[in-house]
Order: sequence, then structure tokens, then C-alpha cells
Amino acid sequence: MDSLVTIRGVEREFDGGQVRALRGVDLDIRDGETLAVVGPSGCGKSTLLQILGALDRPTRGEVFFGGQALSAIRDLSAFRAKEIGFIFQSFHLIPTLTAVENVQVPMLECGGTRVTRRKRAEELLASVGLEARLNHRPSHLSGGERQRVAVARSLANGPRLVLADEPTGNLDSANAARIMDLLLEAHSRHGTAMVLVTHDSGVAAQMGRVVRMLDGKVVFDGGVSGRCA
Amino acid sequence: MTFLTVAWKNLLRRPTRTALTLGGIGVGIAAVVALTSLARGFERVWRNAYEARGTDLVITKATSRSPLPAPFDASLGAEFSALPEVSGAAGLMSDLMGIEESPTMLVFGWDYPGFLWDHLKLREGTWPQVGATKQLVLGSLAAETLGKKVGDKVQIEFDAFQVTGIFESPALVENGSVIMPLPEMQRVTERQGQVNFLNLRMHPKLRERGIAAVRARLKEKYRGFNALEAGEVAGKNTGVEVARGMSWATSWIALVVGAFGVANTVLMSVFERTREIGILLAIGWKRRRVMAMVLIESVVLSLAGGFCGIVVGLVAVRLLEQTEMLRGKLEADVGPGLFGMALTVALGLGVAGGLYPAWRASRLQPGEALRAE
Repeated sequence: MDSLVTIRGVEREFDGGQVRALRGVDLDIRDGETLAVVGPSGCGKSTLLQILGALDRPTRGEVFFGGQALSAIRDLSAFRAKEIGFIFQSFHLIPTLTAVENVQVPMLECGGTRVTRRKRAEELLASVGLEARLNHRPSHLSGGERQRVAVARSLANGPRLVLADEPTGNLDSANAARIMDLLLEAHSRHGTAMVLVTHDSGVAAQMGRVVRMLDGKVVFDGGVSGRCA
Repeated sequence: MTFLTVAWKNLLRRPTRTALTLGGIGVGIAAVVALTSLARGFERVWRNAYEARGTDLVITKATSRSPLPAPFDASLGAEFSALPEVSGAAGLMSDLMGIEESPTMLVFGWDYPGFLWDHLKLREGTWPQVGATKQLVLGSLAAETLGKKVGDKVQIEFDAFQVTGIFESPALVENGSVIMPLPEMQRVTERQGQVNFLNLRMHPKLRERGIAAVRARLKEKYRGFNALEAGEVAGKNTGVEVARGMSWATSWIALVVGAFGVANTVLMSVFERTREIGILLAIGWKRRRVMAMVLIESVVLSLAGGFCGIVVGLVAVRLLEQTEMLRGKLEADVGPGLFGMALTVALGLGVAGGLYPAWRASRLQPGEALRAE
């Protein structure tokens, strides 16, 4: 598989260098790959995810997506809209919008008519088993249902990379299993690469590759039973 | 769903806060509508009065542009009526007087007979007899307000006048007034031989030349006088200018206060939604779209307040017109131009109030915004 994302020497500092969240990370993520990032709290997992998703810029080092340096991309919004899908631990749906409207929010930046957007959102929600909950607002959905809406939203514009930050962290085991099934199904159906941050070793075990982080560095990179970096 | 759906639903998220802000804007716009329509109405009723009288030029003392300018010698009329372009001159004395139990009323003394009376239509009774004393006619609204009919007596200052007739005029201000022959008015106000307006009518084909000739004569011989065309008199009236000034001042105050109110509401809403805005930016919304969303919320809020304000303002002026103080003196001018102006003020305060919050929202860093509590 070709490399989709290449991270070279990435460092990220906060508070003028007093906090060093990432300390020289090198990583390659291949097209269509599933990867779990694990490690204790504060090891830099979420910071790495934000840099991968172009939500934050590294203090030093470079991230390449499809061979292009992110630092050279002028319109990162358009890049995120087209190439990246996000799933958050706290779902982060817009509370005033219904499920089907939430899924359409990223599509507003990528054209299409009102009818085509609505149709695609309905199809995506049907694919996560929410065809009967299209017009429910997040406050009327369970935690598992909200995360399923978030999964559908992350796939709205057909991204090449889905970034999921503790997607099962706020769910019970049954719902967590359902979400993982959906994510893996989306991966196999669309060939979308997926990077998933988790504390749950069971969740990590379902991914094709695991990266362990400690103190802002990658200390393990391999298959589930793979090798040390 | 469209982009506007997102903005619209944000406004409905806190209905009480939205309603209160809308109410604040509405009150401001209502004040703008009420004051402006009354100011314009004031100007219009007087313009109508001059047009109805068929007056081409009105001469007053230049130093006084109040509704009741200073009196001057009535013999000026004879001099101007001698000009070949002038077909008629009519002196007029007017004053505001409290009559019996009613609030102040306009009382006119008109050269009698004369062209000023031509446009009046007698509804009942007769016109005053030429040369008779203590006779007057009442406008239909004045008769209603005073509760008088033909043959009744009306006490003005120290004299009891007999109502010989009740008339209708195309001009509201005249319908609400009392009219008597000029000599009687001069006697009542103790200004014998004086008028405070001189109305000139030109031969239709010589109108422009006549106006120029009168103005030249005034400039040459009678400094300190104004010669205004009928349409200009109302506009140059001090009362109208004050009313117009007040309506402008109110509009600006409404704009400034409203803009701060809108800014406060929208900024609060942006602060509350920091994380949500972070999500929108994270999933690919451009900064200008976020900015547009907040601006649209602000403008929709202000325009909705503007519509409410127009309705409240219209109801308020209709009620004001019916009060004893204004009945028969003023009719608000509520044309489409006024609504356009009110909505422009509302739009202005929406944009002014929304710009800063919109800019703040668009400057958020998605990563930081997502971490916000």
C-alpha cells in the first residue's frame, strides 16, 4: 500500500516550550490502513491526532498527506472537508440540528444540491442503522446512537482518512462493539484509512496496526502482536 | 437542509434571550417609525393645506420660520397684487388658541372674500356675512371636537362667536381648525392691519416669472422677508425641522443602542458555542462561512425586531392620532419609504452589532475551540 500520511520529526510545544506534547514523532500511515494509537493520558495521542487532521500545526517537523506537505496547503478548511473525517469521544454533534442535518453539515462546504445532500445523509444514516431516527435531535438519541450519527457524519464527504479520538470512550460495551463494527465495516467498504486513539486494548486489537506512545514519542509500532519501533 | 437552516436554528436555541433582544430592537424601531411618520405627517398636512389653497408663493418674515411667524403689515399684499404676473393676494393671520374646554386649536383669519376660501366645501350652514362681526366657520373635525353645530356660540378670548357654517377641506389641518374673516382675527389678537402670512397666486402661464419677480421685489425693497413656494413652506418650518431632527436623532440612538444589544446577544451566543464553532471549523467549514453564519443570525434577529417595531410603531401612531392633542392636527405619513428606512436602520444595527462577534467566531482555532468547556 502507498503511504497516505508521512510524519517526519514532528514536535509540538505549548506555553513557549514549557510543555512538550510531541518530541520528534516519525510515522507512516498507509492508504486504507487501520491504526490504533495507544498510551497513557498525556502521552500526546490527541495532539498527534490534531496534527494529523490539520487542526493544529507542529512546532517543528512536517506532515505530508498524499505526498503534499500540509504546511504548503493554503486552504486547510477545504483540505479537512474533503480528505478527513473526525469522530470525537463526546460525539460533538450540533444540538440544534437533527441527525440527518448533522450529517449534512460537512457537505455544505463540498457543493451538491439540497436534495443530493439529504439523500446521501439518509443513506449514511441507514448504513449505521439509524434510518428510523433521521429527524431526531441529539438530545433525543442515546449515546450509542449519537456516536453512530458522528460516524455517518465523518464519512459524509468520502474522506481518505478518518480520525477517531476515543470513539468508544463514552459508551457501554454493547454500543462500543457496535461502533467498532461500523467503523471497520466503513473501512472495508470504502477503503478509508483510519487512525483511532484509544485506551481500550480490546478496541486497539481490532485494528491492523498499533502505535504506542509515551512522553510524546512513539515507543512501539507494529501489528497487534508486532514488533517494537 | 441549507446553510440558513443552521443559522436559523441557532436563533431558536435560546428563545427567551432572542425574544428579549428582539423586543429591545422592536422598541427602538417603533420609536423611529412613530417619530419619523409624525414628522413627515406634520410636513405633509401643511403642504396639503398650501396646495389646497392654490397658493403659489407664501411671504413671511424671514427671521421667523416657526409655525406662527411674526406679523407684518397687511398692505404688502396690495403692492404685490399689482404685479402683472400675480392674479391674487390674500393675507392670513393664524394663531394657536385654547377654545372653551378643548385643547389648543388652530384659529385662522383669512381675507374675506378671497381665493383662500375657494377650496372649502360648506357642509352645513352658510359662510360668514361680509362685514359682519363675531361670526366664524368650523372645520368638520373642529366642530366634532368642540361639540358645536351651526347656530351655536363659540367663546374665543373675550368674545362669543356664532357658528354660521361647518366646512370640509381636503387639508386635515384645516378640518381641525376655526376660520373667521381676517379683520375679526386681527381684532381678537389685537393686531389690526397685520398678517403673518401673505399668500400669492400667479397667473398659471406666468407662474415662474411671477415667483422670480416677487422675489426680486422683496430683495430690492423688503429685506427680512422670505418668499417660499408652497411645497417649501412646510419643509422650512422650524417645527418640522425640529421633528425631523428628532426622528434622525432617534434613529441614530436606536441604531447605536440596538447595535450594542445585538452585539451583546450574539457575542454571548458565540462564547456559548465556542466548541460547536470549533467542530464546524474542524469538519471543514471555512472561516468566512462561520463569519457569515454569525452575521446572518445577527441580521435576521435585527430584521425580525425591525418588523415587530414597524407594527408596534404603526399601532402607536394610530393611537396617538386619536388623542385630543393631535386629533385633526396631524396625520402620520406611513408610506413604503418609511418602512424601507426602518428596515434599513434594523439592517444597519444587525450588521454593526454582528460584525465583531462574527469576526471573533471566525478567528477561533479549531483545536483550541474543541478543548473549550
